[in-house]
Amino acid sequence: MSAKPDGPGALLAVAAAALDAARAAGANDAEACLEGYRSFTAEVLGGEVEQLKQSGTKSLGLRVLVGGAIGFATGTDLSRDGLAELAAHAVALAKLATPDESNALPSREDAGAAPDRALELFDERAAALPPERKIEMALELERLTLAHDPRIRRTDGASVSSGSGTFAIANSRGIAQAWSGTSVSAWVVALAEDAGGRQQTGVYGASKRWLADLPPIDGIAREAARRAVARIGARPIPTQKVPVIMHPDIAASWLSDLTDAFSGEEVLKKASWLTSLEGQAVGSPLVTIADDGRLVRGLGSSPYDGEGIATRRNVLIERGTLAKFLYDHVHARRAGTRSTGNAVRGSTSTPSIGTHNLYMEPGAESPEAILARVDRGFYYDDQGSYGYNPVTGDYSFQAQGFWVERGEKVHPVDGVTVAGRSLDMLKAIVAVGNDLEFRTTVASPTLLIAEMTVGGGASG
Amino acid sequence: MPVPSERAIASLFPRELAGELLALARASGAEFAEVFAEQKTSGSFRFEEHQLKEGSHAAAAGVGVRAIRGAQTGFAYADGFAPDDLREAARVAARIARDGKAGGVPRAFAVVDPPPPFTLAHPAPLALDERRQVEMLRRADAAARAHDPRIHEVGASIAQSSRAFIVANSDGVWAEDRQYLSRLVVSALALDGEERQEGFAAGGGSVDAEYYERTRTPEAIALEAAASAVLLLSAREPEAGSYPVVVGNGWGGVLVHECFGHSMEGDTIRKGSSIRATQRGQQVATKGVTIVDSALVPYSRGSYRVDDEGTPAQRTVLVEDGILVGFLWDRLNARLTGEAPTGNGRRASFRSVPLCRMTNTYIEAGPHTPADLIASLPRGLYCKRLGGGSVSPADGNFSFQVTEAWQIENGRLAHPVRNATLTGNGNDAMLKIDAVGNDLDIDGTTGSCGKDGQWSPVGVGQPTVRFVEITVGGTAV
Repeated sequence: MSAKPDGPGALLAVAAAALDAARAAGANDAEACLEGYRSFTAEVLGGEVEQLKQSGTKSLGLRVLVGGAIGFATGTDLSRDGLAELAAHAVALAKLATPDESNALPSREDAGAAPDRALELFDERAAALPPERKIEMALELERLTLAHDPRIRRTDGASVSSGSGTFAIANSRGIAQAWSGTSVSAWVVALAEDAGGRQQTGVYGASKRWLADLPPIDGIAREAARRAVARIGARPIPTQKVPVIMHPDIAASWLSDLTDAFSGEEVLKKASWLTSLEGQAVGSPLVTIADDGRLVRGLGSSPYDGEGIATRRNVLIERGTLAKFLYDHVHARRAGTRSTGNAVRGSTSTPSIGTHNLYMEPGAESPEAILARVDRGFYYDDQGSYGYNPVTGDYSFQAQGFWVERGEKVHPVDGVTVAGRSLDMLKAIVAVGNDLEFRTTVASPTLLIAEMTVGGGASG
Repeated sequence: MPVPSERAIASLFPRELAGELLALARASGAEFAEVFAEQKTSGSFRFEEHQLKEGSHAAAAGVGVRAIRGAQTGFAYADGFAPDDLREAARVAARIARDGKAGGVPRAFAVVDPPPPFTLAHPAPLALDERRQVEMLRRADAAARAHDPRIHEVGASIAQSSRAFIVANSDGVWAEDRQYLSRLVVSALALDGEERQEGFAAGGGSVDAEYYERTRTPEAIALEAAASAVLLLSAREPEAGSYPVVVGNGWGGVLVHECFGHSMEGDTIRKGSSIRATQRGQQVATKGVTIVDSALVPYSRGSYRVDDEGTPAQRTVLVEDGILVGFLWDRLNARLTGEAPTGNGRRASFRSVPLCRMTNTYIEAGPHTPADLIASLPRGLYCKRLGGGSVSPADGNFSFQVTEAWQIENGRLAHPVRNATLTGNGNDAMLKIDAVGNDLDIDGTTGSCGKDGQWSPVGVGQPTVRFVEITVGGTAV
């Protein structure tokens, strides 16, 4: 499939037509966001193709300002009539909204500079990866997962997908930017038989921009199988307060939860537990958290954000001190500051404040050395989905992992919870691993937290 | 805002075109093909910081084509209804089968047209004009702020959607439906010194406009959110450990949805990845517990007349008096196992394949008063309001956020508790129920269930239910 019809030039041309339609409908200012993508996913199960899915959509999000009030409409009909209809909707909605002098679109001067080096977001090989090859890769991934250990008798499926897309952002104040990117991912869920008909799961995979950056299929298979088998015989431990080693996956998930607390919008509303703490110590000196929109080949990288403002590296916590909140253009104006380039969006919604590639800076210790430091504690490497309160920072998750004694994993653990408060947890980080590795858009090294409550069967 | 200038979907997607696409999708040997044409418009408003921050409108329309051979699915879609784009999608879907013969002449279409489970005289998405919606949000904002001076911020939003679809398949099914959803959500932030807490409440469903005046007003929703936020300011940390838990009625049914319902979905039964696959006829819940999935519950988000595969909606008993009696089936998994579809094939949109999904899942009422269930416990936790929950289907581990709970001491509600998490394993959770209340309530206002990246509106319900023990996460020891 040629990328041309959905390439940057084509999308910018539609954007320009959409801005004209908005002006004709009565908008004072307008912003058009266009997104076109095409992807193909192969899913296999039990040595057979289970599903082949092709996706491809081109859609427009049109944000208008009428007398300082905002309206928004999104759709996929990009014909002249379709654009006129979307523009009419957006303008009608803006007329119902409340005007505010902070409501404005960024100008070309607000936008900032282009990257000084290529971000390498587009990989020709990933874009051209044929469906047949994705099917082969998925089949191989499942076969190798099964071959790794006799206790892995089945998987819950393996999938390989890749796609390419173009994003264009243009507004009536002179911003017009577009770029293309690719992604390719491979995931597998290994299932290990445990006693009593129970199954243990091992999920592993990665999403990357470049095919060459994807871990070897055999490596993904081995890690998924290892995770499932290691879980066999898991049991609860008594309720107690102990040191907790956070596996990079768990630490990254916590970082991702923390995003809202750094949002300038939440801070303005006093809805963030970090609201009054700028410039203060909120973590141990080992903690540096940054968001970087311009990591070369980063899955979350882009030259500009969802409003067309230059992305950059923002340090949120620097050696324990709360350094910065994140802003888009409107909330920066409300707060009397400048956008940090953190407007995040697709074409189907207005921008919100978010992160690009969020991570904790690695430390000096190997994960093995961190494990060796723990006399009695919990190695925490899997969790449930709900358990973080974005307003208070309270943290309480269903957890799986290993009981640790004298620096070694003694037995697998499940049926427990791990709880604490994010502010206490950041301050209690006593070791940061050297094992930072991006597999999605958020990453962390291994962390050691001096004390959390691990809740289990009988109270201790 | 004008009502969207929709052409009737039937005129955009004539039967001859549907028939042609089905033939194309079966051209390489697929046994079954299906086309799903959909038109959806949605709108929302958000009121916050004393302002109507923004209004938004979204329109999406297109056709998904699915071809099946054995257990293998090929799927592609196109935005819009341009015949050439749809033919291309059908050819892509057809590639799941490579070596077979063309599927032959499709059967003539027979319209599947069951009676609706309920009717709406004035569906909220059509009958509530924009100014009325904005006015409702202002009323909610004012009511929440008036509740208590500690309410610092209020967010009120309303979202409406109308969806029309046609589904047709190579077995001759032709079904059309139109579905309406509406939801008003209020969040209230309470501040007291360094303490901050947030409360949520929602109303809505597949409802008439009058619902918001007669059944659940913006003020009632707002007060519930505000009261919850203020209450939590004085709440204590939960005690970690395993002990008796009473879960409140209505939305508390999210527990049975996650820790039992998902393991009853036909895909996991057919593949054998669910522990329930071999348990038909066995005791899987305490005697006295009956669990139902029904798409016929009036005015719920989880209800419909036909599912997204054109199968009539029905009420399916999953567990009767503790015994597993039935599963949930979509077409693909029913066909592969020789079962009959139960009307549980659902898709997030024309851009997604149908999955086997729950609709409104609930525990039927039992004999006890809710007060007795609490009074019976010397010590335990009463979970009045649950937040989100999830289960890992393969290993059964579940967890739920409890947004408002009370410590039970000597049979009485002693003090409020915040940020508790309930966890456990779905394999035995329904066997840990030891008493069922008489106050069944099905909450069809707000739930959305995620599976394989697709979100579907659902209802959940139960009476007040007591568990012998659940593992509770918390910081207190």
